[in-house]
Amino acid sequence: MVLRRTTTRRTLMKSIAAGSALVGIQSFVGVSRAANPLKIGVFVNDTGPASLFGPAQRAAAELGADQVNGAGGILGRNVEITFVDGGASPAEGAKTAVRLMLSDKVDMIFGSHDSAVRLAIEGAIKGKVPYVYTPVYEGSDCANGSYFLGETPQQQMERSIEKLAAIAGGKSFYLIGNDYVWPRTTNGQAKIYIEKIGGKVIAEEYYPLGAANNFESSIAKIKSAAPAIVLQTLVGGDNVSFNRAFSDFGLSDSFARLSCLLEENTLAGIGADASKNLYSCLAYFANLDSPANKAFLDAGKKRYGNEAPQQSTISKGLFDAFVFAKAVAEKAGSLDVAVFGLAADGISFETPSGTQKIKNRNAIKDMYLAKCDGGTFEVIDTFKAVSPGQTC
Amino acid sequence: MDAIVLIQGMNILYTVLALALVMMGLAIVMGLLNVLNIVHGEFIMIGAFTAYAVQAAGWPYILSVPAVFLVCGALGLVVERLLIRPLRYDPFDTLLATWGLGLLLRKFVEMFFGRAFRSVQVPLPGSLQIAGHSYPTYRIMIMAISAALLVSLVIWFRKTRTGSRIRAMVGNPTLAEAVGISTVALARNTFVAGTILAGFAGVVIAPLVPIEPQMGITLVVNAFFMIIIGGLGTVVGLIGGATMIGGIQSAVSAVFDPTTAYLSILALSVLFLWRWPRGIFPRV
Repeated sequence: MVLRRTTTRRTLMKSIAAGSALVGIQSFVGVSRAANPLKIGVFVNDTGPASLFGPAQRAAAELGADQVNGAGGILGRNVEITFVDGGASPAEGAKTAVRLMLSDKVDMIFGSHDSAVRLAIEGAIKGKVPYVYTPVYEGSDCANGSYFLGETPQQQMERSIEKLAAIAGGKSFYLIGNDYVWPRTTNGQAKIYIEKIGGKVIAEEYYPLGAANNFESSIAKIKSAAPAIVLQTLVGGDNVSFNRAFSDFGLSDSFARLSCLLEENTLAGIGADASKNLYSCLAYFANLDSPANKAFLDAGKKRYGNEAPQQSTISKGLFDAFVFAKAVAEKAGSLDVAVFGLAADGISFETPSGTQKIKNRNAIKDMYLAKCDGGTFEVIDTFKAVSPGQTC
Repeated sequence: MDAIVLIQGMNILYTVLALALVMMGLAIVMGLLNVLNIVHGEFIMIGAFTAYAVQAAGWPYILSVPAVFLVCGALGLVVERLLIRPLRYDPFDTLLATWGLGLLLRKFVEMFFGRAFRSVQVPLPGSLQIAGHSYPTYRIMIMAISAALLVSLVIWFRKTRTGSRIRAMVGNPTLAEAVGISTVALARNTFVAGTILAGFAGVVIAPLVPIEPQMGITLVVNAFFMIIIGGLGTVVGLIGGATMIGGIQSAVSAVFDPTTAYLSILALSVLFLWRWPRGIFPRV
């Protein structure tokens, strides 16, 4: 074991060396455009509970920058990334955003981090530069200059509730999530669609975020309530613990589970032995079979080799942010927030998961319903061009 | 109604015993040696990663037990010699030192395994029938292991020569030294035993939790609540604390909701720190 790990580390070092060589070559080629680079501050989760996404977020952003620079940069300028940590407290996030604007003089800010940090960043940048927020989120944010490429609750719930009720052969739902704004808003939306199909909510439970939660008591309640579907808005470690316990208690044969934040990394934690009858509805899965996704993943393999971090919807959105910014800036001819905002509405751009179109500062996009097959996702349905349902 | 009451009763018992198992090593190190061992959670994490490595190598799960004895035993020896002993087992100094060590160990594991979640298959899948209701076999085994360890700990501490030597050392180190007890070796062995117990707990809970370098942090928070309430340095305190924390968490979750349960534990911990900082069953 130890020996094998040592070689892994050596290959890692090699790929880091290779990666830096590539970066060197690229900046050499792009020297004419590099004179006046367009600076983009990118918030990623280097620390904190979501830090497992950090390496993949950095990779997706770097691939996005490569793609844009390979196509002539933005407004004829090469983009240059300044990575900062979005995994610390909201107050730290705000300070970092101010530093990005005042001392690094960035032209735009992109971010994949939690909502509390987003609100703090919005408060700090006050609409002075365009800000693109990319992960799954709860919606209802109309801050000046902000754009949202992630899945909204409406997009996750609108079609999947109905579809899953048909698969499960029942319309009763047990809602379980972590106790903060995203699960509560998502469940609020879910209830609207559950009512629409004539279903009912049997129970709604919330667990504190970041505590050492045990889910045995909820599992006993679920077993006795016997819902058709367990709708989960648990995140990270809690998502893993709950679903492992669910399966250990033998409930996975009897009840369908839809988890609203189940991507590749979380599924790896849940494990192949605990993923029976488990579904996920997101705008991206890393094994999507499309030329655009293949190109994205191949670029990752080329740049990072076999150590390329596992992509998921949480990280891949940062790639989209670069494509989006280029499309809008080229239409607007400027990065001025007001002009940028006018140009953004209605613009279409191509991402690894399909075409997206901005409407009310959120993205209309294809949504995928996937069933877990052991340790991988199998897309069983595609919902085309789902509206984000936002009114900014 | 009967089914759910019985299962919830089993759940409370499970939560209490699982918590006691996870905290046993800390209770020994903190209770007997006064070392505020923040790195306890990372020892558990290393135990869980040991189990992961054993399973990933295709070996039977049971081999994780000797593996963790070696890994955590060696780690405990090194940490005691290079960190705890030079700081003369001082509570505050070791608190800072073990906090730093925790950071280091997390980064070290991250270097080899990355930050991603890992999972370990349940070695005993399926369930057993208890009074006509099924309960997962592996959880029953965890309860049995924890109960057996608690009983052995009481017997070891109360009835054996080593137990009485430790009691002598804790009571009056100078006098213990004078009657020929090698307190240096005794303290070292006690610390290493605590480390191994932490690693062993990691092996046992690995199939039930997300395995990642940060996993120890949340676990250790509950441990400190438990020690505040239960009291330091006694097996009764360990069981009492686990019962209070685990019991309240399960019972309030079952009757009200989990957030209220967490809130009541926080409130209770604050109350104890304020009114009874030595806990319910302190060492006298």
